Amino acid sequence: METLNFLMDGFAVALTPYNLMFALFGAFVGTLIGCLPGLGPANGVAILIPLAFTLGLPPETAMILLTSVYAGAMYGGRISSILLNIPGDEPAMMTCLDGYPMARNGRAADALAISAIASFAGGLIGTIGLILLAPVLARFALTFGPAEYFALFLLAFATLGGITGKNPMKTVIAATLGIMISTVGIDISTGTQRYTFGVLELYEGIDFILAIVGLFAISELLFFVEHRVRGGHKQVRVGKLTLSVRELVSTLPTQLRGGILGFISGVLPGAGASLGSFISYTLEKQVVGKKGRFGEGDIRGVVAPEAGNNGASSGALVPMLTLGVPGSGTTAVLLAMLISLNITPGPLMFTQNADIVWGVIAALLIGNVLLLVLNIPLVGLFVRLLSVPPMYLLPIVTMVAFVGIYSISHSTFDLYFMVAFGVAGYFLRKLDIPLVPIILGLLLGPEMEKNLGHALILSDGDWSILWSSPLALGLWILAALGLVLPYLVGPLLRRRMNAAIKETPVSD
Amino acid sequence: MSGLGDRILGLGLLVLAVAYGWAAQQWPEPFGGAEGVGPETFPTILSVVLVAGSLYLMIKPDPDTQWPVGKSLVELVVALVVLVVYALLLEPLGFVISTTLAVGTLSWRMGARPRRAFLTGLASAVVVFVLFNYGLSLSLPAGLLEVG
Repeated sequence: METLNFLMDGFAVALTPYNLMFALFGAFVGTLIGCLPGLGPANGVAILIPLAFTLGLPPETAMILLTSVYAGAMYGGRISSILLNIPGDEPAMMTCLDGYPMARNGRAADALAISAIASFAGGLIGTIGLILLAPVLARFALTFGPAEYFALFLLAFATLGGITGKNPMKTVIAATLGIMISTVGIDISTGTQRYTFGVLELYEGIDFILAIVGLFAISELLFFVEHRVRGGHKQVRVGKLTLSVRELVSTLPTQLRGGILGFISGVLPGAGASLGSFISYTLEKQVVGKKGRFGEGDIRGVVAPEAGNNGASSGALVPMLTLGVPGSGTTAVLLAMLISLNITPGPLMFTQNADIVWGVIAALLIGNVLLLVLNIPLVGLFVRLLSVPPMYLLPIVTMVAFVGIYSISHSTFDLYFMVAFGVAGYFLRKLDIPLVPIILGLLLGPEMEKNLGHALILSDGDWSILWSSPLALGLWILAALGLVLPYLVGPLLRRRMNAAIKETPVSD
Repeated sequence: MSGLGDRILGLGLLVLAVAYGWAAQQWPEPFGGAEGVGPETFPTILSVVLVAGSLYLMIKPDPDTQWPVGKSLVELVVALVVLVVYALLLEPLGFVISTTLAVGTLSWRMGARPRRAFLTGLASAVVVFVLFNYGLSLSLPAGLLEVG
């Protein structure tokens, strides 16, 4: 009941016209970001952060804006999967399998409509799960001491590569690099200057927003310049909607299963939305068995992964909001926004900043409704935007990133710095060093050091406090598993995912 | 030799890790004497982890990726120069002119026809400028176009 009251307060925050306007704007822009190949959700949200700042939005509005963008991106990813057989973002990969064949059979409009409904169902189930689970987890997390937090941060890094990650050692290296960057500046507890080299701009440390935008946006541009592959895509005919109510009702069990599975894999560290959509698709295939025509345009093959990835995206917010430990690139960027708003993420946020947390959750519910309403009639508009060639789009996106960073500080020093981060990001991506752990390291580094310090003060310098409580020890073991498992299970899972994709007849 | 990229990266990271760790040992002891955790404790741990990681990379590198050569390398350098020059000229030339040049050059080098590329640049520059300066009342530098 208490939860319900909070939720009502949340709705009161989210339903003010001002916030509603930003939610609508965010949902629209998010769908756009999701459907344009090459502009991933993490990248898109990162570019919008400086804008949210310079607009001087109050914290709850800024968070509502970015959460709507996040939810919208998950909707948008499916459009290019279905129409072009190119996933707009990684989790939308599985939607290609049946979505594209459906479009080729002349049922593009149906595929788009049913996937919008499935996304809605997945998002709704995921958000309900979030409402039920988050307060419980937050209360539990209040028992965490500094040692447990330290172990928890390690767990977050260890599982970030995901169970399908290629080389866990590279995740470790990336995370360490990120934390190292975060140590630049004046040490908070002692006032010692660390790695500033006497440069005034470095005294306050390196602004992580600048690093995030540089790493994502600029390196993306450089990647495109190098490959310079596709021109514009041909305009695709969407056709008429022929979806019947009976067909819609027949997919309801699929939506339910997909949403729940997706939510679970979103909450679990190391799984994430991609695995969520993969699991729901595979399970659906097994449940339906031979009766389905999966891979040839079965409608359930579109519903399952879409419900799965939207469920997962809400699920991924659970660890971010309750523990301050994001499980994916995009939630890491959302965390960056929270930290820059001077809000300490973690269990205390539920009591100290209840209006923001519940406002965001309510906004997620409202956002899903808005997205459903936006997506069905406006799909034609999004389809038309798909045919804008990246050679115009990417320079403009880069320019917006420049403007955003410039407008925070009005200093060109930051712009050079951002370009430098972009170049570093390009080289790291070329060498398969993942960027998300770097971002997470930047964000969590200071917290990690603080907790380490507190733990050692409590124990009078005895290091064994870090793994003395059963909870902390458990987290250490999980973290170790997170690093070792990808070696054992990863190749197998990856092979299966690839096999599932190759099975489909890919033409062109 | 296969895995050259990873080996070079590993070597670079090793140098970075050692330098980073060494620098941490040079800081003066903070006032009030040494406690359990000084400013150098955490960086020292990080540098040990990175040393281990970089050694691993050098011993067990992944297969090499394709590095850009010839034309795409030139294009990359051009793009980079455009970005740096854009940052350099943003204030002196003003937002609209520098953005037209930057976005135009980038789209052109990416394969758009020059006329359309620079028109796109101009249009996007004007739209963003008007939106920011009048819509959001955030001032972007007007530069040469400044009136009065």
